[in-house]
Amino acid sequence: MNDLDACIHCNLPIPPSDLVIDEIDGKELRFCCHGCQGVYRIINGAGLNIFYQRRDWSEQGVPTGVFEAKFEANILAEHVIKHHEDSAEIALIIEGIRCASCVWLLEKLLGKEPGVDAILVNYGTHRAQIRFNPLKTSPTKIFSAVSRLGYLPHPFTSGAAQQAAAREQRSLLIRFGTAAFLSMQLMGFSFALYGGYFHGIDPDTRQIIQYFAAAVTTPVVFYSGWPFLTGAWRSLKNRAPSMDLLITLGVLTAYSYSLYALVVGGEVYFDTAAMIITLILLGRLFEGSARNRSISGIDRLLRLAPDSANLIVGEEIHAVASVSLSPGDLILVRPGERIPVDCRVATGETEVDEATITGEPMPVLRQPGDHVSAGTLNLTTSVKLKVERVAAESFIARMARMVEEAQNRKAPIQSLADRVATIFVPLVILTAAGTWLFWFSSNVPHTEALLNAVSVLIVACPCALGLATPTAVLVASGSAAARGILFRGGDILEMAGRINLIAFDKTGTLTIGKPTVKQVIPAPGQSTEKLLRLACQVESGSNHPIALGIIGKAREEGIVLEASESIETVPGRGLRTTSDDGEILVGSRSFLTENNIEIPVIESGTLTEVYVSLGGSWCGLLLIHDPLRENAAEATTRLQELDLQMVLLTGDRPEAANQVSNELAISTYLANLSPAAKATWINEQQQSGLKIMMVGDGINDAPALSSADVGCAMAGGTDIALETSDLVLTKTDLSRLYEAIFIARKTLQVIKQNLFWAFAYNFITIPLAASGQLAPVWAAVTMASSSVLVVGNSLRLGRLVRRALSDTKQSAITRQ
Amino acid sequence: MFKSTVILILLSLCIGTGAWLFFIWTVKRGDFDDVEGPKYRMLDDEETPPVQDSSSQGENHEK
Repeated sequence: MNDLDACIHCNLPIPPSDLVIDEIDGKELRFCCHGCQGVYRIINGAGLNIFYQRRDWSEQGVPTGVFEAKFEANILAEHVIKHHEDSAEIALIIEGIRCASCVWLLEKLLGKEPGVDAILVNYGTHRAQIRFNPLKTSPTKIFSAVSRLGYLPHPFTSGAAQQAAAREQRSLLIRFGTAAFLSMQLMGFSFALYGGYFHGIDPDTRQIIQYFAAAVTTPVVFYSGWPFLTGAWRSLKNRAPSMDLLITLGVLTAYSYSLYALVVGGEVYFDTAAMIITLILLGRLFEGSARNRSISGIDRLLRLAPDSANLIVGEEIHAVASVSLSPGDLILVRPGERIPVDCRVATGETEVDEATITGEPMPVLRQPGDHVSAGTLNLTTSVKLKVERVAAESFIARMARMVEEAQNRKAPIQSLADRVATIFVPLVILTAAGTWLFWFSSNVPHTEALLNAVSVLIVACPCALGLATPTAVLVASGSAAARGILFRGGDILEMAGRINLIAFDKTGTLTIGKPTVKQVIPAPGQSTEKLLRLACQVESGSNHPIALGIIGKAREEGIVLEASESIETVPGRGLRTTSDDGEILVGSRSFLTENNIEIPVIESGTLTEVYVSLGGSWCGLLLIHDPLRENAAEATTRLQELDLQMVLLTGDRPEAANQVSNELAISTYLANLSPAAKATWINEQQQSGLKIMMVGDGINDAPALSSADVGCAMAGGTDIALETSDLVLTKTDLSRLYEAIFIARKTLQVIKQNLFWAFAYNFITIPLAASGQLAPVWAAVTMASSSVLVVGNSLRLGRLVRRALSDTKQSAITRQ
Repeated sequence: MFKSTVILILLSLCIGTGAWLFFIWTVKRGDFDDVEGPKYRMLDDEETPPVQDSSSQGENHEK
C-alpha cells in the first residue's frame, strides 16, 4: 500500500469521497475523515509527533463510531467514586489501545487536561484509573477528551469476583515474600547446624540456633503454607489425594518432629519444611499471573452494545440509557451506529453487519418486521426500531452469560503433578507404615520405630515437585512467545500437549475474512479497467465490505479513482448514480434486470456476483469471494502429521463449508451453526473423552472458545475472542498452530521427566530413612540435587524446541 | 562468643524485617499489579514514546 491512499492517522485506505486534505507545517497530509485529522492536530500541537514513528499497530483504523460518541453525564456519574469535594476517581476500559505508545500518548495528553490530577493506564488490561477534580472538570469532558484522540472509553466498575482475584494474587505474593525472607534467615542457621553435625558444636549454641530456626519456620508453615494446609484438608474431605496433601504431609511431619527433637535433643529438619513451601509457592507465582484476564473479556462483550440510545417520543428524539429501554419503545438508529438492544425493524430498511453473531463479513438486508440483535452494526440508512427485549435479556447479554457459564463449568485442569500425587501419597504412607511395623516387631525401643517411620514421611516429599512444572512452563512459554505464541498459563501448555481434536472456525480463521475480487469478467467489447472504474465510481462512497474489496482491487490495478456525487443506495440490492455517460447501476443480478438490463446466463458457483451497467447496457460482472489464508493448506497438512483430527465449525452455508474442507486437509465439517450450537457440539465431544482445541476469531466464537479445553485466537481477531481464549497467536500465520502444539507436547514430556527425577531422588533416601540412618544433611542434599536436576532439564527444553522447529522450517523450505 | 552470636542473629533478623516490611508496603501500594507496563514507561521523561519488543510486532508499520 503506498502512502498516498492511507490515512496518516489510522492507516486505513481513504474512500475517495471522504478524503480530507490538510496542510500542516507546509506538508500536505491526507486523512480519511475529520476525526482523524483532529487527532493528528492534537498530537502535532502537543509536539508528540514522534508517536507516529514509534507506534506499532497490528491492526488499522480507529474504533467504530469513536468520533461521533456521545457521553451521558447521568450514566457516567454512577461510576464516579468521590473522595472529597475536589477529588474524585473514575475507572474506564479504553477500546483501541494497541501498543505501548498508545498508553504513553493517552497518559501524556490526558494528564494535560485541566482538572485531571492523575492518570494511570494499565497496558495489560486496557484499563485506566483517572483521578480528577470535579470542580474543574467532569467525567463527560474526560470521556470526550479520550474519544477525540481516537480511543473509545467505556465506564467500568470492577465486579466482586475480579476484586477477589486481584486480592488473591497479592496475598500469594506476600505469602511468598514472607516465606523467602524467613527461609533465607533459616538457611544461615542451618549452615551453622550442618557444620556442627560434622565438626562438633557447643550444645548451648546449638540449642539457641535451633530455637531461632523454630521461630522463623513457624510463620512459614502456618502463614505462607496456609493455602496448602486448606488444600490438604479439602483433599482429605473429598478422599482424593492431591499434591497439596503430599506437601502438607511432608511439611507437618518435618515440622512437628523437629519441635519434638528440639525438646528432647536431636537433629532438626526445619529447613526441609520451609524450603518445600518456599519453592512450591514460587512455582505457583510463576503460573498464576495471567489467569484474571478472561474475566475482562466478558466485560468487553457487554460493552459492545452502546450505553445510550435515541428514544423516539412523539416528534422528538431523546438520548436515554440503553438499560432504561423497555419492550415496545421506538428508537432511531443511524448508519454507523450499533444497535443497543434486541429489536424488530419498524420502518425503513437497511443493511446490517452481523459479524458479531454469524462471523460472516457480508452484511444482511433487514426489512420491516425483521429481527435485529444488540451489538450489530447498522450500515446504510437510518431506521426506526421497535424494542423487543430489555438490555439484560439481549443477545449480547445472553452470550456473555454463556461465556461465563462455560468458564465456570470448565473444571480446573488437573495437573500432572496432582495425578502423580494420587498414586504417590498412598505409596508413601504404606512405606511409612511398613517401616514402623518392621521396627516395632524387632528389638528396639518403640519411640525409635515411630521416629524411623516419621523420617520416611519427611524425605518422601520432593522439594523439586514445586519446580518440576513451573520451570518447564517458564522456559517453554518463553521460547513460544519468541515465536509469537502466547500461552495463558502452565495448565494450558499441559492441556495443549494432550489435544487430539482441533475445531476450526471458517471465516476469518481459515479464510482472510474480507471479501476480495476473485475475477473480473467484462461484457464482450468492454475492458477490465473500465468495468472496475465504473464500479468504483459508485462504490467509493460506501464502507460496505464488498465495496472496500472492489476499491482494493482497483487500487492494485493502478486505477485512479473518482468519486460520484449523489449516490442512491437500495439496501440489499445495489447502488445507482448518474454520470455524463448515463446512469450507472452496480448490484445484484435482479437489481439490474428489474431496471430492464439484459444479462446473459453465467455460471459462477458459490461466489458472490456484482453486476455493473452503464446507460442501460450491461458492462460485466465482478466475482467476489473470501480467499483462504496463504498457508492454510500447508498448516493443516502438517497438523495431520501430528495425528490430530480436524473439524470445521461454521455459521456459513454448507456449500461454502464443503468447498473450504475440500481444499484443506479437513475431512469433516458442520455448517449453519449458531454460537451456542458450536459450544454445545464441543461439549458433546468432550463427553466422549476427546481433548479439544477451538481456533476462532469472532465474537460468535467466544462461547465455543471458552468451552473448549484450549481456546485459540489469532491476532487481528476481535478483542473478545482474544480475551476468551487461552492460547493467542500474535501473527496471523496458521503454521504457528503446529509449532504451538509441538512445543506443548515437548513440554509435557519434559514435565513428566522432571516429576520422575524429582520423585526418584527422594526415593533413594527413603531406604536411608527407613533404616534409621537419616541425617538432616541427607535430606538437604537430595533436596538440592533433585532441584538442580529438574531446573537443568527444563532449561534443555528451550534448546530442544529451537533446534527442532528451525529444522522443520528448513525442511519446509527445501520441500518448496 | 555466645552472646555476640545471639546479638548478630538478632541484628540480621531486624534488618531482614525492615526489608520485609518495605516489600509488603510495595505490594499493598499496587507496585506489582502491572508488571508489563513499566518496562515501556521507563523512558517516559524523555519526550519519546516507547518501542515495543520485536516478538509482538505487527505487519503494518507506518513508513
